[in-house]
Amino acid sequence: MFTVNKKVDKILTLYLPLTMLLSFTIFPIYWTLNTAFKPEGDIVKRPLQYIPVNPTTENFVAAWTNVGFATFFKNSLIVGVFTVIAVLICSTLSGYALSRYQFKGKRSFMLMLLCTQFIPRAMMIIPLFVIFKNLGLISNPLSLIITYTAIEIPFTTILMSGFISNVPKELEEAAMIDGCTKLQSLRHVVFPLLLPGIVATGVFTFIYTWNEFLIALMLTNQQSKFTLPVGLSTMMGEFSINYGALAAGSVIALIPAVILFAYAQKHLVNGMGGAVKG
Amino acid sequence: MIKKKMTTSVLALTMATGMLLAGCGGEEKAATKDTKKAATKSDEPVTLQFWDENAGPARTPVWEEVIKRFEEKNPNIDVEYVGIPNASAKSKYDAAIAAEDTPDIGSVQTTWLPEFSIREALLPLDSYFKKSDISKKINPSATGVNKKITQDGKLYGIPYAQNLDALWIRTDWFEQAGVKEPKTWDEFFTVIEKMRDEANNRYGFTIRGGAGASFTIQRAMFAYSGLDFFDKNGKTNINDPKHVEFVEKYFSYYDKLTPKSDITNGYKEMIAGFDTGVVAMVHHNPGSYGEHNKALPAGSYKLIPLPTTEKGQYVAEGGNAVNLAIFKSTEHADEAWKFVEFVNSEEAQSYWNQQTGQIPTNSDVLDDEWVQDAQHIKTAFEVYNNPDTKLYEPPFYLPDYRAILDGVVDPGVQAVMSGKMSAKDFLDEWAKAIEDSKAKYDQTFKK
Repeated sequence: MFTVNKKVDKILTLYLPLTMLLSFTIFPIYWTLNTAFKPEGDIVKRPLQYIPVNPTTENFVAAWTNVGFATFFKNSLIVGVFTVIAVLICSTLSGYALSRYQFKGKRSFMLMLLCTQFIPRAMMIIPLFVIFKNLGLISNPLSLIITYTAIEIPFTTILMSGFISNVPKELEEAAMIDGCTKLQSLRHVVFPLLLPGIVATGVFTFIYTWNEFLIALMLTNQQSKFTLPVGLSTMMGEFSINYGALAAGSVIALIPAVILFAYAQKHLVNGMGGAVKG
Repeated sequence: MIKKKMTTSVLALTMATGMLLAGCGGEEKAATKDTKKAATKSDEPVTLQFWDENAGPARTPVWEEVIKRFEEKNPNIDVEYVGIPNASAKSKYDAAIAAEDTPDIGSVQTTWLPEFSIREALLPLDSYFKKSDISKKINPSATGVNKKITQDGKLYGIPYAQNLDALWIRTDWFEQAGVKEPKTWDEFFTVIEKMRDEANNRYGFTIRGGAGASFTIQRAMFAYSGLDFFDKNGKTNINDPKHVEFVEKYFSYYDKLTPKSDITNGYKEMIAGFDTGVVAMVHHNPGSYGEHNKALPAGSYKLIPLPTTEKGQYVAEGGNAVNLAIFKSTEHADEAWKFVEFVNSEEAQSYWNQQTGQIPTNSDVLDDEWVQDAQHIKTAFEVYNNPDTKLYEPPFYLPDYRAILDGVVDPGVQAVMSGKMSAKDFLDEWAKAIEDSKAKYDQTFKK
């Protein structure tokens, strides 16, 4: 009797809410997948098809070749990878400084870093446009890499300083007693222990650049330089939406993020745990 | 030693970045110089950048074909197409104008012309237009509105397509129910009631309560009253008792005889309701023809004009058009005009409007066979060509006209629909916003 009650309790308090949550989260993704594999006529047909009756891959072909997703994908990848590299270098070094050194104005500096996160992105558009126009960087991926790096650094610096604080100072000191220089102790002792934090920061940065729309739209005046979110939005006209190709494009856009999370999941959990503890 | 190495690395990195930036900038500057050079010799290749304010799967390929045809006829001119999603197009133009980095040619809505011309972003096209053959073909009322709404009375945009608010109806349902198409507003309200079919989860009408609701309610109100936007004393008619009466009745159908989700209905939701067999009538324009054509069997739907006023008059909004404008920053104004002229030629307008379901402005297109066969275009023409049709002209020239629609009217519609505000208070608030804006405008420009 007791075991039955325990089982019911577990179902009611654990499995049921988790199943509800999961179905709530997964349904839109499932519907996108479902739509991506339906021919145009079946998408708006009634009764609704919960499983494609005439499955087709033509939407993927249309999105990839006709709409130019291959180019948008490549552009997003370039911007994402270089932004992650730049953000990781800057935020690891500045995070180390914030974590290990005491200096005048450290608290105010951190407060200022936090404050930059409250500036609405839309407010920055015109100044950014003017700056990059003067630099001749409109429609150049470098403008996006620089902007995203600048936007992400304050938050990731604070994040990294949390991870670094979690690595005992004594380990560095021990390495230095063993003959390591400061930089060698950083490279051989601190960085390997920081890996989960670095992965977590990198993943967050990549996802931000992968999804960002407004700045990418404003700083790009050439179709061939559009990133994925901008490319996706051009598939929704005022009076027409290519639902099939849009869904297929969204699935394509999802793939790198899913792969990234699948590989980084372990590090991500460890990393976030570290940040919270730190 | 390490310190030295690090300093060297940092310096190298800084220099590399600097060189990269300078390199890219240099390339761009060199390119600009080259195009400037090209402008001096007419036979040398010229590249024009063209921004489309409503890119999408339906229009982008059509523009690409028009551009291809233009380039075949003008081998020394390349047109670079940049498609901008409709929802972000105005912000993109705003940023480009502020940063003085505009394209050569842009597709712009009529409502943007006054603001862009005040900001001195556009090139007046009067002299080009006067000399061109298209001046005899393009609908004079559409170009007339464009001149009338700008502060200096100049022509800044050539309308290549116009639009008209109308009703799409499910003719098959009307036949089954033995209901006649509504011709007057009273009949329209009766049809909403008659076409409600609870057993089949069908509604007679769907109200636009989400994005773009302001345009729909404004056009419906004036189509009902037949009033001008301002009275003889310059006071707006927005909160006229006739409009209060209409808005009260119109929104009273919400959630009783129209779907509950109407309060957030934008274009997509409204058209999806019609195309998936949930509603019998939808207030839109011929532009959604492509969507209905894909989703519904031929002959099961058609376009009818908005109901007439008590006096039997059709009312349409002046300036419901989309234009090609040349930006002042262009270094190739003559070549840009060639493109504008081509897009407004019979050949290009006929192709563009047939593919997109919009109404051509070039009178030569009216005789084309496809126009005779396209019920929705013919209906729109009948309204525009009806001598009794009245055009009311909203004050597009007010710099914050669009901001009032987005910031006061759209939320106001939702407040009335949800019962948080009365129709009278809503229209009073709207009228006050318009009058305050007009007073500011008159004061600034001493009109």
